[in-house]
Amino acid sequence: MSPSAAAPPRISPVLPILTAIVALAVFVVDTLTPLDIAVAVLYVAVVLLAVDFTGFAGILAVAAGCALLTIVSFVLTHGQSPGTGPALRCLVSLAAIAITALLAARNQRAVAALREQASLLDLTHDTVFVRDRNDMITYWNRAAADLYGWQKQEAVGKPAASLLQTVFPAPYADIVAELEREGRWEGELVHTCRDGRQVAVSTRWALERDPQGRSVSVLETNTDITAQRVAEDRLDRARMELAHVSRISTMGELTASIAHEVNQPLAAVTSNGEAGLRWLARAEPDLVETRKSLEAVVRNAQRASDVVRRLRDLSTKAEALHGPVNLVAIVEETNALVERELRSHGVRLAVDLPANLPAIEGDRVQLQQVLLNLLLNAIQAMDVVPPDRRILSVTVACVGDSGQGDRLVLRVDDSGAGIAETTLPHLFDAFFTTRSEGMGMGLAISRSIVEAHGGNIAAVNRPDGGASFTVSLPVATGAA
Amino acid sequence: MSRPPSKQAPSEPVPLVFVVDDDEELRLALDNLFRSVGLQTRLFGSAAEFLKASPGDAPGCLVLDIRLPGVSGLEFQGQLARSGVKLPIVFMTGHGDVPMSVRAMKAGAVDFLTKPFRDQDMLDAVATAIEADRERRSREAARRDVRGRFESLSPREREVMTLVTRGLMNKQVAGELGLSEITVKLYRAQAMRKMGAGSLADLVRMAEQLALHGTRE
Repeated sequence: MSPSAAAPPRISPVLPILTAIVALAVFVVDTLTPLDIAVAVLYVAVVLLAVDFTGFAGILAVAAGCALLTIVSFVLTHGQSPGTGPALRCLVSLAAIAITALLAARNQRAVAALREQASLLDLTHDTVFVRDRNDMITYWNRAAADLYGWQKQEAVGKPAASLLQTVFPAPYADIVAELEREGRWEGELVHTCRDGRQVAVSTRWALERDPQGRSVSVLETNTDITAQRVAEDRLDRARMELAHVSRISTMGELTASIAHEVNQPLAAVTSNGEAGLRWLARAEPDLVETRKSLEAVVRNAQRASDVVRRLRDLSTKAEALHGPVNLVAIVEETNALVERELRSHGVRLAVDLPANLPAIEGDRVQLQQVLLNLLLNAIQAMDVVPPDRRILSVTVACVGDSGQGDRLVLRVDDSGAGIAETTLPHLFDAFFTTRSEGMGMGLAISRSIVEAHGGNIAAVNRPDGGASFTVSLPVATGAA
Repeated sequence: MSRPPSKQAPSEPVPLVFVVDDDEELRLALDNLFRSVGLQTRLFGSAAEFLKASPGDAPGCLVLDIRLPGVSGLEFQGQLARSGVKLPIVFMTGHGDVPMSVRAMKAGAVDFLTKPFRDQDMLDAVATAIEADRERRSREAARRDVRGRFESLSPREREVMTLVTRGLMNKQVAGELGLSEITVKLYRAQAMRKMGAGSLADLVRMAEQLALHGTRE
């Protein structure tokens, strides 16, 4: 490619003058020296020089000028006695000038087209660069220079990955393998600019092969998605804050249960502690009973701290953590949280949790929040039926053929009065509530959490009464 | 300060505390606490379990969580009253529930403790409850004694005792029963001897205990 492809061609006056001097020299030699050779063939050099500073038409004009000078010279030297030799030499010269001019002009046109295409690459907002087999940069467009801060001449010849400190979304070897297999690869990268700023880019790679099928170079086209990423992060944070608020308000509904959960072990701690002191204060200290008392103190203190830990986990405002989570463990933990609520509402809990379920990808606290919402709703929904009919069923099942795309389906069934048909379509809307207390955000937030996990949530009425909520979540990729 | 139960009359059995709470650890903790001051305990996880058990033959009390699975502590209090279980009740609650505590106290609870309670409060409450139960038991024992003696009277002696303690003169009693005054005197002396009454006043008090005149004590 031409090094000046990015800028409009500047015309230096040196080259045309040089060309004119050469033309003049050829003319003088051709006219004044009595050499029996086709000196005029040297005009070819003039035409070739013209290629560098003029276009298609200019080349033809220069060629025409050269032809004219040749003829003038011929007429001046052999005008009176035109022999066949000089005439033939003149014709050969003219033919050489014409052929050179045509070839040069055609070549010039092709170069112009290429130059135009190359300048189009400079117009795009996407950064485009080409890397050879050794990851050395061989082409670097203007957008790349603008985004990353290195000019073309600084970037070309440098290894791309180390210049840009590329962070790959997958092991590099895997990406290269896919590129070799498919001929292209798409993904998202993080690059570091010259000023140290990090940019997130959506990238498309295309592999160029030589006729033998060996990979020669990679064309990499990147779109800066940093702003989009920032907006997404903001949205995520807003969702997280809302989830946190909703979680706190859900915990508010649990206050009575929580007080009991904490007070119960504390009462046991003080009673056992006091009892221990009394066993010890006896005329003959009862060490066996003292020891038992202390063990009970430790046990109950542990229990109280378990309750506190569960609450702290729920009330935490930490960034959503994405990692493999065990849905069954979440269900068990949440059941423990609502145990008291179940008892005070006289609800029986039926649980079916198969062993060895695959993990899912997500945030434990947020998923627990979804389940907590569903359980509390179900418990309250059953207040309207007699106590002996209050059954809450929680099941988890794996749906799929134990391969990619499997889903875990969590189902919460209650035996309450069900959901009114008019309510069903609005159930997951924000601020929709049928209860006097509560913000009506529980299910709306549950849905946004589940969808952020790539899953979905749905509610139906069961044929034999009560409502059934299902949460379907994709199994973590790479999970056993 | 609770009185050490070991100093009680040797004839009296060790007081018995019934604990009803659905939380096993708390039951065990209370068991430990009560045993450490020399009380006997019986532990129950639910109201139903307690109702199946025998009340035991010792002064005692019931320590009860106000929120129990299946039935609330207050309902349970009512059930016990209806089925004639007269054990004094000390209520525990996880959080200070004022309306509930008022209802419980009105229904005869001895005390109402908020968890986590100070053990001294619990022990004091239990000591008070046991004392109340002991008094009730001795009253009932005395009443049973009077009842037994009354049942040893002949029909005539009972009639005479009933009328005399209502305030009738011997003569009026004689007229009422169609007996001679001397016979009435004889029955009356007999009744007083059998009842162990030293005076007419004693006899009147016994008649009251026995509710002979349809009045309650």
